Amino acid sequence: MELELDGLCRRYGTVTALDGLTFGVPAGQVFGFLGPNGAGKTTAMRAIFGVTALDAGEIRWRGKPVGEAARRTFGYMPEERGLYPAMALFDQVEYFAQLHGMDGPAAKKAAWYWIDRLGLSGRGRTRVDALSHGNQQRAQLAVALVHDPELLVLDEPFSGLDPAGIDDMSAILAERAAAGVTVLFSSHQLDLVEGLCEAVAIIYQGRLVVSGLVADLRRGDRPRLAVRVAGDRTGAWSAVLSSSVGTVDSMRSDGTAEISLTRTADSQAILDLARAAGPVEHFAYEDRSLSEVFRQATGASVGQAEAEHAAAARATGVATGAEL
Amino acid sequence: MNLSLSDDGQRGSSSARTLSAGAETSGEGGPVRANRPLHVTWLVARREIRLRAKARTFVITTAILLIAVALAVSLPAILAGKSKPDRIGVVGGTTATISGIITEAGRLSGGQAVAVSEPSLAAAETALRGGDLSAVLVPNSKIIVKQVPLGGVSGSVQTLAQLAGLAKLIQAVPGAASAVAHGVTLPVTGLEKPSTSLSARLTGLFTVVIIWVLISVYGSQIALGIGEEKSSRVVEVLLSTVRPVQLLIGKVLGIGLLALAQAGGMLIVFIVAGFASGSSLVHGAELGVVIAGGVFIVLGYAFYCTAFAAAGSLVSRQSDVNSTILPVQLPLILAYALSYTVIYANGANTFFRVLGFLPPTAPIAMPVLYAAGDVPAWQVAVAAVLCAAGTVWMARVATAIYSNSILRTGPRISFRQAIKESRKA
Repeated sequence: MELELDGLCRRYGTVTALDGLTFGVPAGQVFGFLGPNGAGKTTAMRAIFGVTALDAGEIRWRGKPVGEAARRTFGYMPEERGLYPAMALFDQVEYFAQLHGMDGPAAKKAAWYWIDRLGLSGRGRTRVDALSHGNQQRAQLAVALVHDPELLVLDEPFSGLDPAGIDDMSAILAERAAAGVTVLFSSHQLDLVEGLCEAVAIIYQGRLVVSGLVADLRRGDRPRLAVRVAGDRTGAWSAVLSSSVGTVDSMRSDGTAEISLTRTADSQAILDLARAAGPVEHFAYEDRSLSEVFRQATGASVGQAEAEHAAAARATGVATGAEL
Repeated sequence: MNLSLSDDGQRGSSSARTLSAGAETSGEGGPVRANRPLHVTWLVARREIRLRAKARTFVITTAILLIAVALAVSLPAILAGKSKPDRIGVVGGTTATISGIITEAGRLSGGQAVAVSEPSLAAAETALRGGDLSAVLVPNSKIIVKQVPLGGVSGSVQTLAQLAGLAKLIQAVPGAASAVAHGVTLPVTGLEKPSTSLSARLTGLFTVVIIWVLISVYGSQIALGIGEEKSSRVVEVLLSTVRPVQLLIGKVLGIGLLALAQAGGMLIVFIVAGFASGSSLVHGAELGVVIAGGVFIVLGYAFYCTAFAAAGSLVSRQSDVNSTILPVQLPLILAYALSYTVIYANGANTFFRVLGFLPPTAPIAMPVLYAAGDVPAWQVAVAAVLCAAGTVWMARVATAIYSNSILRTGPRISFRQAIKESRKA
C-alpha cells in the first residue's frame, strides 16, 4: 500500500468525525473513498494534508509518516473549490507549481502544458473569475496536477459535472493511475462512481465499513441470481426455495426475484424450479450495487444515513468536515 | 466539462513526467532544500508584489500620491516666488543708502525687498504685528521680526541683517571698509517668544500623515487579501503545501515591501521637488525628525501588519473585514487625532506623552512628540525598543489567532473567541 490511513480519530466537540478509520490505497488504481455525506471523508482527506489536526492515528506514505516533503509531491482538489479570483489562470497554475517546489522554467512549462491539456488553451491570461464554471473546475484540476503529483487526492471531483464531464474526469484519473500515480477520490454518490474506480473504501460514521475491489464487493460472498417467470408479477414461484439453496433478498416490481445463493446451491436446480412455474424470461447472475453493499453492511440506506447526519448537525449545532 | 482526452493519454502522461523530472529529483523524499521555508515565504511575498504592483488602482493611487507630494512641496515656494516683495519698515524714515541696502538684500536672497518709511518704532511694530511688514529695520541698531524661527531668520531679512550691519560698521569705524571681509550682523529680535521650528513641526506632521496613511491603507489590504483567500477557499489549497506562518509572513512582507517602496518614492519626490523649487520645507526639514519618522514607519507597520492579518482571518466574507479591523485601528485613530493638538500647541500633555511609549500608539505619537521638541532623542530610542518588543508579542498572538481561524468557516469569529481558542490549540 502506498498510502495508509491508520486509526484516524478526530472529534469536533461532541461530534465524532473520524472514529478509528483505517484503510490503505495501492498505487496504479483509481481508488474510490465512498460514504454518505457526513461519514468523515473530507476530514480524512484534509488530515492527509495536515490541514486538519488528528486527535489520534497516523497517515503514512510509502511506509513513512507523511511530512512536508512528502506533501509537496501530493496534489489536492478540495471539496470547496478555491482559486484566487482576480489572478490570471496561467499565473495561478504557475504559482502553485512553484509552491510545490518546481523551479521557474519547469513551472512555466508545466503550467502551459496542463492548461492546453485540459482544454483551456487561449485562456492563460484570463482572470479566473472571468472563466465559466466548467472552466474553473478545469483550472482547479490543473492546479492539482501541475507538479505531476505522486498522490492525487480529489474531494468529490464528480459533483456538479454533467455526464460528459464525468467521463472526462474519470478518463483523466484513469490515465494518471496508469502512469503509476496513486489516485484517491471521494464521492457520496456510491452507485454513480462504481464503474469509475477499481477499488473502494466505504466508510460510515468515521469507521471503515468495507474495502476492496469493486468487482469483489459487488459480487459479495454469496452470488446473486435474478430470476423472472413470465406472468408471475409477484414472484410467487420462489416461495418453494429452501434456505439451504438461497434466500430472496428482494422482489422487483416486475416480479424479478433477487436471490442470494448459498455456496452449495445448484443454480440449475433453481432454474428447474422456475421453469416448473412457467416460462423463464430472465435468469442471470447479477452484481449488487455499492449502495446495496453499504445497506447490507450498515443496516441503513445511504439516504437514511445522510438524513440522520443532517438532523444531528442541526441538533448539536456542530459542523464537521466540509463545514469546518 | 470536456477535458479533451481524445489524443492518446499515454503520450500525454509521459511528457508530463519528463517536464517535471527536474523538480522530482530535488523534491520527493530526497533532501529538503535548506532554504525551502524561506523560498516558499518569498514566493508568497513575490505574488503579492507582482499582483498588486500591476493592478491599475495601485498605479493610479501611487501616481496621485506622488503628484500630491510634489505639489504640496513645490507650490508654496513657486507661489512665494511670484508674490509681492518683502516690505521692510525703516524707523525714522528711509534714505537712499538704506533703501539701496534693502533692495540689494532682497536681490541677494533671490527675491525682492522694498523699503517703507515708518514714523516711529511703535507704528512700525503695529504694522509688523498686522502682517503689513516682513521686518522692521532700526538703522544702526537692530532688526525686528514678528517671531524668530528656531533655526534663525532666513531670506531677505537674514541678508539685510548682514548688509545693514556692514553699513553700520563702515560708518562707525573709519577704514573699516577694508575689514568687511569679517562680516558684521545686526542683532535680530522677535516681538513674540521664539517658536519651535515650524519646519520641524511640518516635517513631523508630514511624517505622521504618511505613517497613518501607510498603516491604514496597507493594513486594510492585508486584511482584505486574507479575507479573499479565506472566502474564495483558495487557502485550503495553499495550506496543503504551505505552512500558515509562511503564508502570513509572505503576505505581510510582500505588502510591506510595496508600502516601503511607495513611501520611498514619496520621500524622493519630496526631496527632488523641494530642492528644485527651493522649498523651505526641504531646507528646514529636521534630519532627526525624518530618521525618527522612518524608524517608526517600519516599526508601526511591523506592529500592525500581523494584527490586521489576524483580523482578516476572522471573517468568512470579504465584506466583513471592515468590522473586524476596526478594533485594530482604534489606537491608531486615537493617536492620530490627538497628534494634531500637539502639533498646533506648545507642549504635549501627560496623556499624549504616555501614548508615546505604548507600543500600539508610539508609531504615531513618538514622532510627533519628537518633532514638537517635547522629548529628547533617548526617549525616542526607548519608545522604539518598547515598540519592537511589543511587535514580537503581537506577532506571536496574531499568528496563533491566524493559524487557528484561517480554515474556519461559518459566522464571523469574535476576537475574544479567537484568542481563547488559539490559547487552547
